[in-house]
Amino acid sequence: MISRAARSEHVSGWLFVAPAALLIGIFGILPIGWAALLSFQNNDLLTTPTWVGTQNYHTLVNDPVFRQSVNHTIVYTLLFVPLSVGGSLALAMLLNARIRFSRFYRTAVFIPVATSTVATGLIFNWLLEPTYGVANYMLGKVHLGPYGFFQDPDQALYSIVAMTVWGWLGFDVIVYLAALQGVPESLVEAARLDGAGRWATFRHVVFPLVSPATLFLIVWSTINALQVFDEIYVTTRGGPLHATTVMVYYLYSQAFEFFHAGYAAAIAEVLFAITLVFSLLQLWLGNRRVHYGS
Amino acid sequence: MRWPLPFSPRHLALMPIAALMLLPLGWMLLTSIQTLPESRHFPPVLIPSGFHWQNYPDAWNAAPFGRFFANSMIVTLSAVAGNLVFCSLAGYAFARMRFFGRDVLFVALLATLMVPFQVTMIPTFLIVQKMGLVNSLPALIVPNLVTPFGIFLLRQFFRTLPIELEEAARMDGCSRLGVLVRVVLPLSMPALATLAIVTFLWTWNDFLWPLIVITSTNQSTVQLGLAQFQGAHQTNWTLLMAGNVMALAPMLLVFIIGQRWFVQSLASTGLK
Amino acid sequence: MRRLFLIAATALLVASAGCGGSSSSNGVVNVTVWHGYEDIEGKAMTSAAARFNATHPKIHVTVTNYGNADYALQKVLTAIRGGAYPDIAYLYGSWAANIARSPTAVDLSSRIKEPGVNWNDFWPAERQAVQVGGKVIGMPALVDNLALVYNKKLFDQAGIPYPTANWTWDDFRAAAQKLTDPSAKQFGWAYVADGSEDTVWRFDALLWQAGGDILNSDNTKAEFNSPAGVQAATLLQQMATVDHSVYLDNGNDNYANLFNSGKIGMLFTGPWDLSSFPDVDYGVQVLPGLTNHQTISGPDQWVLFNNGSQRTQAAWTFLKWFTSPQQALIWSTQTGDLPIRASETQLPGYDAYVKKYPGVSVFVQNEANALKARPVIANYNEVSQAMGQAIEAVLLGKGQPQQELDQAADQADQTLATGQ
Repeated sequence: MISRAARSEHVSGWLFVAPAALLIGIFGILPIGWAALLSFQNNDLLTTPTWVGTQNYHTLVNDPVFRQSVNHTIVYTLLFVPLSVGGSLALAMLLNARIRFSRFYRTAVFIPVATSTVATGLIFNWLLEPTYGVANYMLGKVHLGPYGFFQDPDQALYSIVAMTVWGWLGFDVIVYLAALQGVPESLVEAARLDGAGRWATFRHVVFPLVSPATLFLIVWSTINALQVFDEIYVTTRGGPLHATTVMVYYLYSQAFEFFHAGYAAAIAEVLFAITLVFSLLQLWLGNRRVHYGS
Repeated sequence: MRWPLPFSPRHLALMPIAALMLLPLGWMLLTSIQTLPESRHFPPVLIPSGFHWQNYPDAWNAAPFGRFFANSMIVTLSAVAGNLVFCSLAGYAFARMRFFGRDVLFVALLATLMVPFQVTMIPTFLIVQKMGLVNSLPALIVPNLVTPFGIFLLRQFFRTLPIELEEAARMDGCSRLGVLVRVVLPLSMPALATLAIVTFLWTWNDFLWPLIVITSTNQSTVQLGLAQFQGAHQTNWTLLMAGNVMALAPMLLVFIIGQRWFVQSLASTGLK
Repeated sequence: MRRLFLIAATALLVASAGCGGSSSSNGVVNVTVWHGYEDIEGKAMTSAAARFNATHPKIHVTVTNYGNADYALQKVLTAIRGGAYPDIAYLYGSWAANIARSPTAVDLSSRIKEPGVNWNDFWPAERQAVQVGGKVIGMPALVDNLALVYNKKLFDQAGIPYPTANWTWDDFRAAAQKLTDPSAKQFGWAYVADGSEDTVWRFDALLWQAGGDILNSDNTKAEFNSPAGVQAATLLQQMATVDHSVYLDNGNDNYANLFNSGKIGMLFTGPWDLSSFPDVDYGVQVLPGLTNHQTISGPDQWVLFNNGSQRTQAAWTFLKWFTSPQQALIWSTQTGDLPIRASETQLPGYDAYVKKYPGVSVFVQNEANALKARPVIANYNEVSQAMGQAIEAVLLGKGQPQQELDQAADQADQTLATGQ
């Protein structure tokens, strides 16, 4: 009996995932296979490619800009993920209350996510412009700065972090707001009645209950942060002096400025490996700590 | 000590944050009512000479935007529907069912997110071409019918639901599909609303893929239409921003409607 | 849920009903043209196609906007890869040498000798830019050059005479200094300092004026780190880091809006920017010079792709018509773009064009100062990036001219040695 039930679960499980697996197989796995082959080629997308074995990977090892791009990508990710996930949890907690204008606040937080990156880039270009920008004007009022922001090689990457956290915060907030609906008010009230303070209630009741969402956001944000591109494309374009050249920006310029698609694919494969390690580690650690209720 | 003011202290934190977040909309609205010469100033003109609403009809008439909105709507709603259905099925299987190769498959799905689009763009085009879909709306729909994002999101949410309810339903003779549709989904409205909003947003704002796969005006989307205001040598900022405001409207509408699901469910999940 | 699914299914059906095709039917050959023009130029393009279709019943030309700049290249490359390319595409100059290697690009070298083309009527810089290794890979679409555009009011306020055609680098530097006023946040000059081709081509003009060159004559070795190159980079260094008379633009084209707001005295820029300055009374003069007043020209091309001989012939017929002197002058008059042919200046309508666009005549004359072209080689973009990083470092005060240019030259030499 048991084995038959288990067997039927194998079948129905696969039936449930079949449409998704089929579509993602065609539009996800196949292109990745193609990219993997490409990384062993000298390919300009225009003429007949030639097989070069692992040469692209050997070149990568000694490419100083590539190494820089790996560093920038990892620094960016290590800053972006905690700031955006932590910040959005705080903001979601603030928003998850029956107060006036809550609908307005939630909509406001959502707006940067819905705005086109071109418009976002323009605004930050103005805010952070060193000579005429608003940020330096305000900071000058409190005797700080002026800062170079996007134009200073030592500040540009951090400026990108600030801009992207601002732009993506609303996204994480939506996910957290949804997760917070699963936190029964009765539990929170019970904790309060037991004399737990605000922080203790959050720490021991709310936080564990939204931990599945936290794991999701950490894995998801990491995958995206490692591929940051659009916001850099509309502001610094990898500069000044390669200070914001991250891996995807570098592979983009190799493929579509220098016509080295094979080399670009090799960069993508390294990025893939880094991402996979990060994600597996997060899922493995997460599964030991995340509280799935019941 | 009691809070002395007649409003929640949360407002003190939320007001400045909201102001910061409203910047892009404010900027877009401001530029969209300026004259073209006014938009060509830096630092920007903050008080325009008047309300040049004419930019809106001008932007709308610069290209067949009625058609573009209809196309975008077809593509986006199809993607939202596809994601709600297929991600629910797959997310539930990954959350609750034990089947051969489950964990490997899950990681494989996630792995498809780990290679940047700049690299997979060309093979994806070749596949769509093989299917005979180039320059048609299905080329924008089919690859977006299901996303690993949605599967992962729903899997995480489904796992937090009280399993006792599902077990009880199964005891009553419900099939797996029955449990999903009658028990799990009604309890997951916040998560489904999130998925719907996010899918709407991405599909509506998608630019590079439509640019590559669509070559005729008839099949163009809103974002492709907007790109036409950014020329090779000049950008018409006033029309671009007027167009952007119009393109933002449906997304805001969806969000404002979707919000109901976030708030309402607070009261209705008394089940737990 | 069920209703949503129905919507999806209907959407699929509705969408798949509308499909496009572009093969020939009832004897009419269809030609597709991809371009990146918007607004006025976009309308001019559509109206040109309409004029052509009205007079050529056997050919039907359809024009499509394919996005701007970098995105367009991604679209073209994908289309070439999938064999779904148009008959004609507007391509930026720096891509030409690469696109030329695709077997789908049509070599026009025999066609340009046809009667009526009058090839030598195109400016020298345009002709050089399409000649890649014995092939001619396109027809001139657009030509630009750099001149000195200045704000008359700021010159008057500073009490200095307007630039002349005999201005030297010293005259220029001194004027920039006088036009600079830190308290008013006003700068004498602006320079695009993002390390892109925008950074590099302005430097190229200075380099050539100083008697230098980018690469050696057979394009195998970098020469931009010559004494002439160092002299040019030193001028930039002195003005940016000693005089502080230069606004460093980070590539977002703030300089144009700043100039229009009266914050910048002078620009090295081209005719495409003039319409961005509606609020400034500006003058146009040739670039300040050293041994001469050379400028640089940035031509873009129409490239033909092979979709079979019938369509290629029809596409060629369109291009030949579109780049003829009469049509080119109509285009210039509608858009303000520079004439792509010397003979346009002899046509009766030319005076009207010059009157309509103040300052444009200096740019037309300045085309004669465009004596040299950037090397048309496949790895030019890599050479350019190395140069751009060096110039940017000098401008930001992060490096010395000689040392930075030497380092960039090493990188360029490596690239040139690997070849393609």
